[in-house]
Amino acid sequence: MRVAIVNQVYKLMKKDKNIYFLAGDLGYTAVEQIEKDFPERFINVGVAEQNMLGIASGLALSGKKVYVYSIISFLIMRSYEQIRNDICFHDLDVTLLGIGGGMSYGYLSSTHFALEDIAIMRVLPNMSIFSPADEIEAVLGVKKLYKYRHPLYLRIGKRREPLIYSKPYKFEFGKAVILRTGNDTAIFSSGPLTDELLKADLILRNEFNIKATIINLHTLKPVDKEAILKYSLGKKIVFSVEEHSAIGGLGSSIAEILTQIKNPPRLKIIAIPDGFVKELGSQSYLRKRLGLSADGLTKTISTTLKSK
Amino acid sequence: MLKLLKVDFSRKNLTMKKFKLEKIAHRIRKNIIRMLAPYESHHIGCSLSIVEILTVLYFHTMKVFPKNPGSSKRDIFILSKGHGAAALYSTLAEKGFFAKKILQTYDRDGGVLPEHSTRVVPGIEVSTGSLGHGLPIGIGFALSFINNHKPNRVFVLVSDGELNEGSTWEAIMFAGHHKLSNLTVIVDANGLQGYGQTKDVLDLSPLDEKLRQFRWNVYNTNGHDMEKLIAVFNRLDKSQNNWPNFIIARTIKGKGVSFFEGKFESHYKSVDEKTKQEILATL
Repeated sequence: MRVAIVNQVYKLMKKDKNIYFLAGDLGYTAVEQIEKDFPERFINVGVAEQNMLGIASGLALSGKKVYVYSIISFLIMRSYEQIRNDICFHDLDVTLLGIGGGMSYGYLSSTHFALEDIAIMRVLPNMSIFSPADEIEAVLGVKKLYKYRHPLYLRIGKRREPLIYSKPYKFEFGKAVILRTGNDTAIFSSGPLTDELLKADLILRNEFNIKATIINLHTLKPVDKEAILKYSLGKKIVFSVEEHSAIGGLGSSIAEILTQIKNPPRLKIIAIPDGFVKELGSQSYLRKRLGLSADGLTKTISTTLKSK
Repeated sequence: MLKLLKVDFSRKNLTMKKFKLEKIAHRIRKNIIRMLAPYESHHIGCSLSIVEILTVLYFHTMKVFPKNPGSSKRDIFILSKGHGAAALYSTLAEKGFFAKKILQTYDRDGGVLPEHSTRVVPGIEVSTGSLGHGLPIGIGFALSFINNHKPNRVFVLVSDGELNEGSTWEAIMFAGHHKLSNLTVIVDANGLQGYGQTKDVLDLSPLDEKLRQFRWNVYNTNGHDMEKLIAVFNRLDKSQNNWPNFIIARTIKGKGVSFFEGKFESHYKSVDEKTKQEILATL
């Protein structure tokens, strides 16, 4: 996914000389072409994320469009105050390309995971969040958001994520995408974990006769309130699925909406419980262990529906 | 003979300029006291220490356009030590960026001038308040000007306490490495920081040697002496090595107001209306 995104940014940079690309000493086998063809507008700032975000702000204040590339934890957690005070407070045209959403760094373990990022980015005024499910959606978003002039955070996986879509579709920022339809329940999802959910959906349909509507909320902020209400109303129980802490992520953001209405459905948040992931393993291994694989999701969803 | 005359002439010119600037600085200093909200306003000493630096920047060195603050020809000033905002507001009002009566909304309910500088105010480029943010942002501006072959310069005023911040040193490394010759940092070296003397908290001396090692041109000067400040700012563009510039301006916290001068507590303490009037009577 990250290469597809970087390639799309490359195309934009070729067309628009106002675009800068900053990297925090990362991007091996991904950003070399940008460095080679736009040496003045590609800046490897070094291992210095606070300075990198400050520089991005200064460039944006002088009228540039800036993409900043690094691993999520370093990009947004090391330099969180720069993002809040410099980028969000000034409402600047800076796009944060965060690599390694969820547990995509697998064996590299907890320091490289991003399981609290949605919670801390969602609360920032002026910040928007885009969390594409696959590289087709990622490229559609980057193209569309080229004209967007405000702080933006992209929660990007890493590489070799399975494709959810077979071809590009009519993408709208802030608008949910219905991936499957069914009357038994609604399941909200976001990001590459959607692939596991779609596999779970097949099992649910074929083996449990559970037909769910599956809603991909690729825009986590501003979240598609209308779609959340539309597909939740009238249901006894709905689900959210995310590779993120159960605190503050997609589930929380849906809960914030549902608790404001009369007779809301019960919301089952399927996420990672509060706590560091202590086991070692690949992303797919860890998903299995934490109940986020297709089998785990199937089990939680089917048993929860049975016990309603 | 001719040479002598020329020297005399420029000398006289400088003295006149100095005299004029000193009068402006006096008004800026007086306005800082006038705008204080009794019992509410703090950060007075660290505003008074930068009055001469701001006066020279805004009335001698920088290209600024009070009637068109966003002009593409302007030099950029960033008050990284955002807590010195009272001095900056007072300077901007003196320069004509906005009406002086607005200064009376400083630190008042419903006012427009908070105690840390904010970009909402005409002439202020960046909202600051948390230390260690201004220099990286200044670098962003400086890079933009260099890559676009523009002559605009960037000036960042930092506090000596702010030199504790890692982000400031990340930026110092970067600007030295990339030879951002259009960038000038001025440190308000008043020797006092949030909870003690700078030399007792984290002693950075010899600062000038450290900065030279990081490939910066370093200038030591008295931050209250107009003539010396003018001379330093005039020298900036003449270095041949393309290094960025760092001016260590030795200052006195609370300068010019004996109630505050040299006192650590002038960072925090406010004044009541009576004391405010007494101070004003001495100015």
